[in-house]
Amino acid sequence: MGDTLKKIRLIRKTSKTFLGISALLMLVSTVALYFYLRNLLRSEVEEELRSTEARIESSLIENPEPFQLSPVVEIQKVSRLGNEVLKDTIIYDPSQDEMEEFRELSTFSAINGENYRITVRALVVESENILIAVVISYLVIILLVFLFLFYVNRSRNQKLWTPFFHNLEQMKRFSLSSDAPIALMDSEILEFSELNSEIKILTNKVRSDYRNLKQYTEDVSHEMQTPLAIIQAKIENVINMEEPLDDQQFEQLTSIQRDIQRLSQMTKRLTLLTKIENNQFANIEQLDITRLMAETVQDFCEISNNVIKVDFEHPIKADMDPYLASVLCNNLVSNAIKYNVAQQDIVVGSTVDDISISNAGTTPLKHPDSLYNRFYRESDGVKATGLGLAIVKRICDLYGFGIDYRFSGDRHVFTIHFGKK
Amino acid sequence: MKILIAEDETELQKSIATYLERDGNVCEMASDYHEALYKIDLYEYDLLVLDINLITGSGLDILKLLKRNRSETPTIIISANNSLDDKLEGLDLGADDYLTKPFHLAELNSRIKAVLRRGKFGGNDRLEFHEISIDTRSRTAYVNEHALSLTRKEFDLLLFFVTNKGRVLSKEIIAEHLWGDHSDLADNFDFIYVHINNLRKKLTEAGAKYIKTAYGSGYKFVEA
Repeated sequence: MGDTLKKIRLIRKTSKTFLGISALLMLVSTVALYFYLRNLLRSEVEEELRSTEARIESSLIENPEPFQLSPVVEIQKVSRLGNEVLKDTIIYDPSQDEMEEFRELSTFSAINGENYRITVRALVVESENILIAVVISYLVIILLVFLFLFYVNRSRNQKLWTPFFHNLEQMKRFSLSSDAPIALMDSEILEFSELNSEIKILTNKVRSDYRNLKQYTEDVSHEMQTPLAIIQAKIENVINMEEPLDDQQFEQLTSIQRDIQRLSQMTKRLTLLTKIENNQFANIEQLDITRLMAETVQDFCEISNNVIKVDFEHPIKADMDPYLASVLCNNLVSNAIKYNVAQQDIVVGSTVDDISISNAGTTPLKHPDSLYNRFYRESDGVKATGLGLAIVKRICDLYGFGIDYRFSGDRHVFTIHFGKK
Repeated sequence: MKILIAEDETELQKSIATYLERDGNVCEMASDYHEALYKIDLYEYDLLVLDINLITGSGLDILKLLKRNRSETPTIIISANNSLDDKLEGLDLGADDYLTKPFHLAELNSRIKAVLRRGKFGGNDRLEFHEISIDTRSRTAYVNEHALSLTRKEFDLLLFFVTNKGRVLSKEIIAEHLWGDHSDLADNFDFIYVHINNLRKKLTEAGAKYIKTAYGSGYKFVEA
């Protein structure tokens, strides 16, 4: 659900909302002001026209001769009275020497037995100018106010949220394996301060759980070695007792010896995995991986009946812990030996920054995606701890090396990419 | 030889002692840090087998104390901790060898003998068994003063047999001695047969028939 929402920064989002609302308010209020003001000005003009007309009427009572003051006042004698008309009109204004828009009021009135049509006009331009002046000054003022508010608001928001952003960065940098306490910035905002204490509680809990789990793995592996040593020692003493055993008893005892060895290997490897995860191998050197691999292969040739062909086109150097490097090579070679088909060759090769090792196989893996999981075994036929490749993967992850597996031409091929991704 | 076994697990103490005493060694035990310190202070030992995790203290502290007192008692550390750092720390403090639990008693025995050879007798690198003589420095074995041509593994195997003479050695023990952690690789121990048979053949040709099969699948180096 969260992925479908477009992500936007908090300050940006609040600024955007503020700007949007401001713009809308500005628009609506300006339009309202415009119409309100226009009506006000119109009624003002109308009132003025009427009062002028009333004055003319009273002057006509004293002096019945009609007079003209074109285009502002026109008085005509007419035969009949008509209806009052109020309208806008465009006529020639000799004072301006151009066509102008006027507001015009024509009324009819009977004064001293004579019928008059009285037309008074007022220039509209004037009131239009006032209208525009007012609206523009309003716009400028309100724009300035909004801009001011916008910047004040934004800097205030930024200040307010600073502890939050700082703490967010701290949480991003939070590492389980590190012991450095998470440094949170305190804030006067109650909710932020509550959030901080929750984060502290959670991180401490997660860390202590993780530590316990690690400690548990280490302790179990560690504590198991001593009882195993006791069993091992007792078996050897039984084998060497004065009264001889029979062959079957001996067979059983040596089989127990094998199982003890397996168990001990397993705990050693689990401890190693934990140590890699804890980043306890900090001794980094530049190593000639191809040479190390060749040496490893040589060691294994003594034990294995398999022919291991080594063909390195390019020497590969990598920066890593020497112990982990040898574990990496050992596990890859021993994995190839364990799962090889008898009488077939194991091939180790290199390109510019890859090393690949392949052994013969009959079918591709059924679950290649679980290949690097702990205790994953493809078949029960091989006695393996199921940790060898998990360790290889961890080592690759630690140094950012890529590893991939493919099945091609009846061979299982593992490739390690030493080039930085 | 007088050996002190400082180990908090009494069962392991007893088993180690039983194995070592069969070679005529005298073993004394210490079950905790203080007992170990006390005994070291009071008596002279030819060798110290030292566990790091003694209940009341660290074996490494005992080692430090020993070295501060300029003691020359050779020491073999046995520890449940397999980490490289601990190993290096132990050896840096002056331990002569470091063995990780679980170990085979035959392995411990052969390490003890190697340490004693290097130390007590002022660099006596020769090991004798009837007509067989083994020079551990030049890594050559002789039968009646005739050098045998042995491979590296065959030589290790012969040395392991001679130091554990009279003991039954299963293929598991031998494999772990020769190949350590890699010994789990081979399910069948074909490769051991090959090495043992070659060694046996070479010894027999030189007139030394001491390697016997025990219980069908084990081996024993015995007086003729």
